[in-house]
Amino acid sequence: MDTSRSPLEPSGFSRKLAATIIIVYMVVTLIPITWIVATSFKSVDSAIAYPPEVFFDPSLEGYVNLFTNRSRQPQEYLDSLPPPDTWYEELVRSREMVITGPSKFMGRYSNSLIIGFGATFLSVFLGSLAAYAFSRFKVPLKDDLMFFILSTRMFPPIAVAVPIFIMYRKLGLGDTHLGMIILYTVVNLSLAVWLLKGFMDEIPKEYEEAAMIDGYSRMQAFFKVVLPQAMTGIAATAIFCMIFSWNEYAFAVLLTQFNAQTAPPFIPTIIGEGGLDWPAIGAGTTLFLIPVMIFTVVLRKHLLRGITFGAVRK
Amino acid sequence: MKTAVKKFKGLSDKAIAWIFITPTLILLLAINIYPLVYAIRMSFTNFYANKIGREPKFVGLKNYKKILGKEEIWEKMQITAHFVCWTLILQALIGLGLALLLNRKFKGNELLTTLIVLPMMLSPAVVGVFWTYLYNPQVGLFNYVVNFFYDFGVFDMIGSSTLAPWSIVIVDTWMWTPFTMLICLAGLRSIPNYLYEAAEVDRASKWQQFIHITLPSVLPFLLLALLFRGIENFKMFDLVVELTSGGPGSATELASINLKREAFEKWKTGYSSAFAVILFVTIFGFGNVYVKVMNKIKER
Repeated sequence: MDTSRSPLEPSGFSRKLAATIIIVYMVVTLIPITWIVATSFKSVDSAIAYPPEVFFDPSLEGYVNLFTNRSRQPQEYLDSLPPPDTWYEELVRSREMVITGPSKFMGRYSNSLIIGFGATFLSVFLGSLAAYAFSRFKVPLKDDLMFFILSTRMFPPIAVAVPIFIMYRKLGLGDTHLGMIILYTVVNLSLAVWLLKGFMDEIPKEYEEAAMIDGYSRMQAFFKVVLPQAMTGIAATAIFCMIFSWNEYAFAVLLTQFNAQTAPPFIPTIIGEGGLDWPAIGAGTTLFLIPVMIFTVVLRKHLLRGITFGAVRK
Repeated sequence: MKTAVKKFKGLSDKAIAWIFITPTLILLLAINIYPLVYAIRMSFTNFYANKIGREPKFVGLKNYKKILGKEEIWEKMQITAHFVCWTLILQALIGLGLALLLNRKFKGNELLTTLIVLPMMLSPAVVGVFWTYLYNPQVGLFNYVVNFFYDFGVFDMIGSSTLAPWSIVIVDTWMWTPFTMLICLAGLRSIPNYLYEAAEVDRASKWQQFIHITLPSVLPFLLLALLFRGIENFKMFDLVVELTSGGPGSATELASINLKREAFEKWKTGYSSAFAVILFVTIFGFGNVYVKVMNKIKER
């Protein structure tokens, strides 16, 4: 055996082999995602071609279908109409249809944004407060309270969905943005408190104490010294809360219908004429996945830390 | 020093502690604990949430007896167990394998990790929808690729009752293996170098090092990852609803999907609450035993 290199360093060959296997796995695991993005740029006919088309004429039909409602018309009626004003009208006309109005997608997408950001802000804000208190002060029954906060994560959503449904109906919170923001905040809170407490534990107490000697009150020290110091942790926690709220389906499908429905329950309902309109579903999926993918790649350091967090420090 | 701090201006520390914790506790009590208590109370009644005027009657343990005596429920539990067991086995093996490979710090390691992690960041419901396209027997990419390697002819992953339970296992494994991988990777990175150095001095072979150092150190992490995945998959709803909606027939009707049908389609609120409580107790029971076993393994 080669004794000149450190025993801990894998050999060049085994490293190359490992890298090759990982790259192959990466390619295979990304094929489904790549495929759905590619499908969003296909025409309806090309999406149902067999064998599946890897090379195809790109078309924006999927996106046009996603954002509009259309109805099929006889050729005589189409001929009697004035020529189309826009490229998308022309595209729809070539399929013997006319645009009857915008679809609900934009509304569902903005519901996702409003509820996602609202719930993320609230859970990070409340979570920071609680985490700070647990991190710095003597709270009676601290360990029990922390465990209680964690255990609320173990409930299956469907188990509490019926009582929440009834409760929300009584309070007038059913199918409202506020109701969903509160609900997602609560689901995220347990994780937020646990993650943030870990990050706050790492900030030396001396920082606030120094600030308080300089005349800050405890509150001021918290907002002006501790919070800015905990920014990395807050960012990591916010990503998790955002991704959860953005992706959540069970509560959304059970508790919202018209007013506050988010995108995940809506995307499966995009149906074309005579079967599923795959390019349109692909387009909806792509637009919905893009923010999460950008988030993941750009903020990967915070994110990876957050995922492994519970396991690493205990 | 500590006694001096208490004399600073503003609210006392104790007051601040309670001001900071109370909002969180109130929200958790109102939206989490109260509904749970409510569900437990309803499980002893014959309440129907869609019949508003009707007073629910107390029926004692009738709902529980009905559920536990029903053969159909045991079928659902079996389907759930099949799903949970196979996803855990596959995710443990593939996840640990990938983590061991990624631990050989090669170039571009971090970016590759991020790209591999992407599937678990996606919305399970949306993932379910687009896999129905990949599984399509006429035009699906999955079927095409499988037939490319071995010609099975036309087969329908979602429509056939023998293949459907595997179709959900495949998608869940695709989506969540990165989770096991990440946690195992964290475990591998926490093994101190001197252990291997000492083993090398003792002329232990690479295989012996793997069996006696790597595996025992990473095992607690792997078990923890499996605990999280086990709980999540026992409650599995979103992915499978959009992928197979429990079908064909009830071949993939997991416990949660059955629960949703009873609660939100048949509106048997009392009955479904009892079922929810049973599921909850099962998860807690399994979780508790598992954690105890896990701690024993850690102590060794």
